[in-house]
Amino acid sequence: MSRKPFPYIAYMLRSRQGALDLVQSKSEIVCIIPALNEKATIGRVVSRALEHCGAVLVVDDNSQDQTAEESLKAGAKVIRHILRLGTGGALSTGFRAALRGGFKTFVTIDGDGQHDPDEIPKALDPILKRQADIVIGSRVLHGSGSMPLVKKIGNRILSIATSFASGTKITDSQSGFRAYRRQVLEYAIHRGWDYRWASEILALTSKGNFKIKEVPITAVYFPKRQRGASIKDGFKILYSTIRGTREKKSFTHGKP
Amino acid sequence: MAATGFGIIMLLFTTRELIRRRIGLLQYSLWMALWIALILVGTVPQFYYALILVTQALGMLTPIHFVTTFSILALFAATYVLGKRIAELNEKVNKITQHIALMNTNNKKNDSHS
Repeated sequence: MSRKPFPYIAYMLRSRQGALDLVQSKSEIVCIIPALNEKATIGRVVSRALEHCGAVLVVDDNSQDQTAEESLKAGAKVIRHILRLGTGGALSTGFRAALRGGFKTFVTIDGDGQHDPDEIPKALDPILKRQADIVIGSRVLHGSGSMPLVKKIGNRILSIATSFASGTKITDSQSGFRAYRRQVLEYAIHRGWDYRWASEILALTSKGNFKIKEVPITAVYFPKRQRGASIKDGFKILYSTIRGTREKKSFTHGKP
Repeated sequence: MAATGFGIIMLLFTTRELIRRRIGLLQYSLWMALWIALILVGTVPQFYYALILVTQALGMLTPIHFVTTFSILALFAATYVLGKRIAELNEKVNKITQHIALMNTNNKKNDSHS
């Protein structure tokens, strides 16, 4: 009987802490959106992401349309690249700016509307409950849906390589829908400027013993917009992932 | 005579390029070796026979074999060095682009605070 109050108090403290996390965190959550010529969709993505995050940071990778203007109108903060760096470069800039901003939790989604911003809480949940440090929104965890066949095969190969590099089973290593705890990005930020970032950051952070968890998400593919990693990019990603497993300490630390 | 004239013109042109810093010392040295050989062959034809002896000692039949083989090897080396240099410059340009983007963000923040 005398031992009962202690677990109860511990439970109360834990749940109180959990509740506080959930209440406090919205202002400490930032959504980073890399964008290139996304005028048509960015405004809607930003405004919906703002429902779940304290701030939305759009990294305009030298768009030739009104992506930046639309993002600003929708309430996002915009960082502009004067030259096109690629998705990895845009995310790296976004991470560094958000670290300087003092945010504690980082969410990344695509600006083309492929990801549903209403699924952000799903990605945040394991982080806020301290069950994971990195959460990947997997497009294939519950079936790969309308993912094109070439992408499906490429994604499978790269996910196997990334699982090997990170030491955690990952089903969708190329997903841009992710959530990170601040400590992860303070530990390491990827160096790849292009699509290599997705596997590279997982391989690098695996040395920091961060917990990786996947949650199922839905993704929309636009047949007319054939953007994304090519077969050539796939080989580059594979090479950098294999190389990443050999690198021990020579990666860039996430200094803001 | 024509070979000597061409060699001299090219030698002067290459030197001008070096003075104007359009080419590096390594590139200059390679071109100079070629132009000097051309001038020597044009002015002293016996030099060609001397060259045959040198190239045969190196395992090549004639000087032209040597020049062709050496040029191909030099081009491969140059392509490798240039590719490496371009990758390094690309990395620097990307880092500068990122730095400018972050600096502009900081400046905007400071402006809004003041």
